[in-house]
Amino acid sequence: MSTFSGLNTAYTGLVAAKAGLDVVGQNLVNANTTGYTRQRVSTSGVPALNSGGLFTGGVRPGQGVSVDGIQRLDDAAIDARVRATTALSGYTNTRADALSTLEASLNEPGANGLSTQLQKFWSAWGDVSNQAGNQAPVGVLLGQAGSLVTQLQTGYRAVDDQWTATRTSMDGMVADLNSAASEVADLNGRIRSALMSGQSPNELMDRRDLLTTSIAKLAGGVVRPNEDGTVDVLVAGNALVSGTTANAVKAAGAARMTDAGADPVRLEWAYRPGAAIALEGGSIAGAVSTLAPADASGTGGVLAEAAASYNAFAVTLAQRVNAVHSTGVTPTGATGLDFFSIDASKPAALGLSVVPTGVSGVATGTAGAGGADGSIADAIGKLGTGANAVDKQWAAFVVRVGIASKTEKQQSDLADLATAGATNAQLSGASVDLDEENMNMLSFQHAYQGAARVMTAVDEALDVLINHTGLVGR
Amino acid sequence: MINRVTNATQTLNAQRNLQLSLQRQAQLYDQATSRRLLNKPSDDPTATASALDVRSGQAATAQYARNVDDGDAWLNTADSALSSVETLMRRVRDLTVQGANDGAMSPEAKESIATELDGIKKSLLSLANTTYLGRTVFAGNSDAGVAFQPDYSFTGVAGSTVERRIAPDTTVRVDADGAAVFGTGASSVFSLIDNTVNDLRTGVNVRPRLGEIDDRMKAIVGEHAEVGGRQTRIDKAKDALAVGANALEGQRASLEDVDLSKVILDLKTQDVNYQTAIAVTARVLQPTLMDFLR
Repeated sequence: MSTFSGLNTAYTGLVAAKAGLDVVGQNLVNANTTGYTRQRVSTSGVPALNSGGLFTGGVRPGQGVSVDGIQRLDDAAIDARVRATTALSGYTNTRADALSTLEASLNEPGANGLSTQLQKFWSAWGDVSNQAGNQAPVGVLLGQAGSLVTQLQTGYRAVDDQWTATRTSMDGMVADLNSAASEVADLNGRIRSALMSGQSPNELMDRRDLLTTSIAKLAGGVVRPNEDGTVDVLVAGNALVSGTTANAVKAAGAARMTDAGADPVRLEWAYRPGAAIALEGGSIAGAVSTLAPADASGTGGVLAEAAASYNAFAVTLAQRVNAVHSTGVTPTGATGLDFFSIDASKPAALGLSVVPTGVSGVATGTAGAGGADGSIADAIGKLGTGANAVDKQWAAFVVRVGIASKTEKQQSDLADLATAGATNAQLSGASVDLDEENMNMLSFQHAYQGAARVMTAVDEALDVLINHTGLVGR
Repeated sequence: MINRVTNATQTLNAQRNLQLSLQRQAQLYDQATSRRLLNKPSDDPTATASALDVRSGQAATAQYARNVDDGDAWLNTADSALSSVETLMRRVRDLTVQGANDGAMSPEAKESIATELDGIKKSLLSLANTTYLGRTVFAGNSDAGVAFQPDYSFTGVAGSTVERRIAPDTTVRVDADGAAVFGTGASSVFSLIDNTVNDLRTGVNVRPRLGEIDDRMKAIVGEHAEVGGRQTRIDKAKDALAVGANALEGQRASLEDVDLSKVILDLKTQDVNYQTAIAVTARVLQPTLMDFLR
């Protein structure tokens, strides 16, 4: 054992304590950095040297402390949970948002909704019946019918606009996804070379975790770590990021709602056009499901289903009113006239229009019952009441949207709760606690002072040995 | 493992709790200021379905009330016309009885009776053509403008009655049958008076005409009674609709409107909750170990 080994032991203590203080400093300054994971310096005691010599003997202490590395205190399981819950809440949030916007555009129940306008329309027929053949009530009726048609078209357009807006925002989300993926691939490379050259990649890993979480929010995705420190990100079983390579995705499909039936909106790999990626979660999946075309069972995308309901309602309204109206006779004796017509070249809700322009086009009475008969007008006014009322179809649609919105909101709330729980668990492990860091700072400070004291003691002992040995009695 | 609590988790939790508290407060503010519980279908889909139904019922009831008012006016017009007709017919009978006194009446006196009867006939004809808002109340759905032409022909269509809807499946007839009241053509009351006048002028005894006049009066009174009966139905319908409208408004309010006192109480409680929350948060988040280390 060397005479000076005590000095060296003390020196390793100084180095370790200083490294500890440095890490505390890094933790403290990043206390509010998003995605920062707290770090600890990890040390180990250096064992005593082997003593193989002839004259060596006795027990020897260890050789000090070694700084092994700077550990990043993350928990892969909790990180995976955060990503899974974020993917789900991204999906449900997008859907709940879409439904809540759709629901707001209905203006129901209230004085501004379509149902109120429908009731005014039926009442106008009642007034026409009371004064059949008069210009004034017919004028009111035509006005109300015009408002009804306009309101139906406004409702349909609102759905159409919402579809287009969602489609545009999906393009934005896909661009975000691609840039996040290529950034992860880039970070993978830097982390790998940092590890190979023995540097700490902790801060790079923090950034990569943030990015994989935002990928999860957009498109779900599973993160699979590799031996060399890189991670692969799998979306629907295929690699979005594989080592230092990122595979681009793109949003494909119709750009307008009316074309969505023939060419559904989907996410696909840039290298394999035409095949849709079956996403498991994330807001892009939410957008894709919102933009899905309507189907026969009414379980398609909410927006297309809403548009289909508007069309179906327009058709029902036109058919039911025309069926009665065409049996009546106008004051001038004409029969077989339609009240509503639907332009077949457009969606029914947009193609709906009112045929009559004045009293001569409105059939109010039964043929042969006198020119002032209002029985047909009364029969049309009756379409708004009873078990088979036209209003019921609209009410059913409103209630359907309401239930879907409520359910989706609840699911979104639950997913948010799960995300909050997971984030909390993640933060509770990874976030910096100021008190704890202060404590660590104190202990490293004391350790430094202690090591310095040891060094002084050894120094004094050597001083005695070197400078004062052999001077007895001088 | 017990969750490690750090400044970050504390801040996050505090933020989330404050946000929840604020959201609840905003919802209550919304309800208190709009006074509506049901602002969108998802607030309560079941109540929305009922509310839409009730609103549709309200609109229908309002329309029935308008129909009833209109029908009431029709029946009133017919009723007062029939009352005048009955008064005139009594005068016709009196004059005919007078004219039947062959011995006591001079031709001049008979002539004056005939002149008066002629005048009454004209009044009856004009009463028979009584209109309400341009529609003749005795001619059903005819749009001819008059119920009886100068040649006493009736313009109404048999079986085509004027109906007003007072309930989803109920209508009330609001016109009076001109043909039943006045008769048509040669058998009409106008022809009867013409014949009587003719008899008086030509010296034929008019006593036999009394029977015909009595028959006509019976028909008029009978029709008048029916009009009265329908008026009673309309009046009852009016009452029932008013009660129904009240009930529907009550239902609508209970479905859509907030109980203001409850909301204000909730809001007050929520205010206190929120203030407590921010006060506690301010206190909890403040101190760290640094406050105590030299």
